[in-house]
Amino acid sequence: MHEYAREVIEAVKARDPLEPEFHQAVTEVFESVAPVLDAHSEYRQARILERLVEPERVIMFRVPWVDDNGDIQVNRGFRVQMNSAIGPYKGGLRFHPSVNLSTMKFLGFEQTFKNALTTLPMGGAKGGSDFNPKGKSDSEVMRFCQSFMTELYRHIGPDTDVPAGDIGVGGREIGYLFGQYKRLKNEFTGVLTGKGLGWGGSLVRPEATGYGVAYFITEMLATKGDSLAGKTIAISGYGNVGTYFVQKAVEFGAKVVSIGDEYGCAFDPDGISGEKLAYMADLWTVYRKSAKEYADKFDCEWRPETKPWRFIKCDIAVPTAMQNEIEAEDAAALVANGCQVVCEAANMPCTSEAIHVFEEAGVMYAPGKAANAGGVATSGLEMSQNSMRLSWSSDEVDGRLHQIMTGIHQACLEAAERFGSPGDYATGANIAGFLKVANAMMDQGVV
Amino acid sequence: MNEYCRWASKELVPTKDPGQPEFHQAVEEVLESVAPVLDAHSEYRQARILERLVEPERVIMFRVPWVDDRGEIQVNRGFRVQMNSAIGPYKGGLRLHPSVNLSIIKFLAFEQVFKNALTTLPMGGAKGGSDFNPKGKSDNEVMRFCQSFMTELYRHIGPDTDVPAGDIGVGGREIGYLWGQYKRLRNEFTGALTGKGTAWGGSLIRPEATGYGVVYIATEYLATKGESLEGKTCLVSGSGNVAQYTVEKLLDLGAKPVTLSDSSGYIYDESGITREKLAFVMRLKNVMRGRISEYVSKYPEAVYQEADPTLGYNPLWSHPADCAFPSATQNEINDRDAAHMLREGVHLVAEGANMPTTPGAIENLADGGAVIIPAKAANAGGVAVSGLEMSQNSMRIAWTREEVDARLQGIMKEIFTTITVAAERYGLENDLIAGANIAGFLKVANAMMDQGVV
Repeated sequence: MHEYAREVIEAVKARDPLEPEFHQAVTEVFESVAPVLDAHSEYRQARILERLVEPERVIMFRVPWVDDNGDIQVNRGFRVQMNSAIGPYKGGLRFHPSVNLSTMKFLGFEQTFKNALTTLPMGGAKGGSDFNPKGKSDSEVMRFCQSFMTELYRHIGPDTDVPAGDIGVGGREIGYLFGQYKRLKNEFTGVLTGKGLGWGGSLVRPEATGYGVAYFITEMLATKGDSLAGKTIAISGYGNVGTYFVQKAVEFGAKVVSIGDEYGCAFDPDGISGEKLAYMADLWTVYRKSAKEYADKFDCEWRPETKPWRFIKCDIAVPTAMQNEIEAEDAAALVANGCQVVCEAANMPCTSEAIHVFEEAGVMYAPGKAANAGGVATSGLEMSQNSMRLSWSSDEVDGRLHQIMTGIHQACLEAAERFGSPGDYATGANIAGFLKVANAMMDQGVV
Repeated sequence: MNEYCRWASKELVPTKDPGQPEFHQAVEEVLESVAPVLDAHSEYRQARILERLVEPERVIMFRVPWVDDRGEIQVNRGFRVQMNSAIGPYKGGLRLHPSVNLSIIKFLAFEQVFKNALTTLPMGGAKGGSDFNPKGKSDNEVMRFCQSFMTELYRHIGPDTDVPAGDIGVGGREIGYLWGQYKRLRNEFTGALTGKGTAWGGSLIRPEATGYGVVYIATEYLATKGESLEGKTCLVSGSGNVAQYTVEKLLDLGAKPVTLSDSSGYIYDESGITREKLAFVMRLKNVMRGRISEYVSKYPEAVYQEADPTLGYNPLWSHPADCAFPSATQNEINDRDAAHMLREGVHLVAEGANMPTTPGAIENLADGGAVIIPAKAANAGGVAVSGLEMSQNSMRIAWTREEVDARLQGIMKEIFTTITVAAERYGLENDLIAGANIAGFLKVANAMMDQGVV
């Protein structure tokens, strides 16, 4: 590790001791950019790392609302506006009981570099609340969203900060949030992305992350003269990302054999497609049911409390669920079972130890900030369409998405090559993202 | 203790905010006091008042980058905790000190909510600051820091929204720099900060307010016993602004202050600190920036004793006296000091500093029959005159010294009545700590009830 990077990481740990996820994310990025810091002392002089790890602005706020029993509930809202060097803040809102400042800062930090990779003008941010939408009525979710937006509205705007969805925030929540924003400001603008098609949403937005991952894997395999045709793939989730990834992977001739959730994993060796894919698409987004229902309905194996990585033989692993879902032992099992490619559809699903196992074994590994950037890239395209008050066709958006993913893949490989780690996507992604943000900060002076 | 209070202070807050010990302590202390109120009124529980009180309405943390005199870039972290606006715009000081973190700012903001409620003026509670250390910095560096700090803060404050003031590390110089930048950004000349210079919107009596207020409220207490400060021997700790004006007002009212201190030690002047001697101390501390030990070189009849942390108590509190005015720092009176004070005849402690008396000392003093007027009430004169500065700014007219002083005296009298009545109403005669917490709580909680779920 570069001495300057080490100093800053130590300062971060001393200053914010209770933020392990944030430390992990910072360490991972700063380890990668060591060769850049060696070659360019001007970043140290400008204190770029100190400024990168300190959010430009953090807002935490009280979110009181009344549940269906008439009882008052109090949640905590967050918005971490990490960096606006290359565009308005942009990043999702997460509603999940695990939400705290550390997760928000980690996600805001990652988002900064991911957004930089998309080539679109978007800074980095993240937000959300410890509110748990599970088991809440539509009405309760609406009241929560309205109270949440009643504070958030003053900190966001189409040229300031444009939130999107994340875990627990889908079309329904974006709708309630947008409605309240519009009511408060009396302005119909692109202040949120992931909107419904009837009121400013972009075509291909729901599909974008999943499609983007499939495009990215295609590019990775192409460097070896290979393709997705005939490959066996394991995934771990069954939300938006998983569903549309499966759709595109099947289109490209691959076979996806698993889905899962926090209760366990369904193993379907015949592969998910056709009627099964249609059911999977609705399982959470419409029925709000566990992945076990899939195993029950299609009579395939259900392994409770197990992750697919432990027992499924696959060529490609695509974690689509949560941070740190692939630990060292999972990684070792994947390697032992002959896995050749790991591509992160979720954010930071592999622990540092797991990544190390993949490197040792020569498994191709693509980090989330590059591979799953299709989602936020299409959010960026939604912003463009909103700003020009015109919508693009499906083909137009998909074509741009495909082009962006190819570009990200290229940028990662070039940066990795230039700084002495050819073929290392993680290092390449971190360096390419870092350079874009750091150079913009240098240009704009001490702010 | 009331089950709802216990749950909120022992379970809710520690689980939700691990790593915030100062905040936990402040919440626990207030909630212990208001337990009898919650026993009597279940509607507060139904309205989830405690959950809402312990969750700041808004916390803003921000990056403060600036360039030092050597051309090096520095990065600090700025804070503003807007705790509660039920009874007025947010109001509370800014602290610049390396120890500043979220826990400390939340604790101070929480305390501020109840203190401000006691002043009778329309002010909510807030606190802010930064881990920037003004010590050893040039004027120019302090100015650049303040400008960068305000460049973010300005969007969150305003004369009807949030009105910051000074605190540790933020005096007239810093308020000037902050206000200049606010005005430049907004292009509006308004009362967005208090503690301003008198030429540009500051109030007369603002520097004197805390010290005068402490003495006024002590007078109110003594009056209920048919006594006055006339002829009373008084122990005063500290030698800053609060201590200086406490001594000045004590002299006005015929008392005999006999001690003063700073971080290196204290002086005991048995013959009494006179006006002439006080003028020397003010020059020594405010102009020459000297140590209090120099007092004895000038006035050899006094004795100086160096601070000795190994002693386990502070001998300043071991001299014969009637009243004590701790005006230095938190936890400066421990249980042993309390025992010494009782032995030497002290029956009234009026807190000029914030939280100067440890829980053990409070217990000892109460058991020994001494009365404590807690900081929340006793030193509220400072923020009260800040409130009067806001009024003067809003009406674009400045009051005379006499007018401000008379209002301050009226406010301190009312605070004393309010906390006494609240203590009596819940059967806690002479427990003015509980009285202050209850009175502050009731005012804020009832305003929250009226305004619905926000």
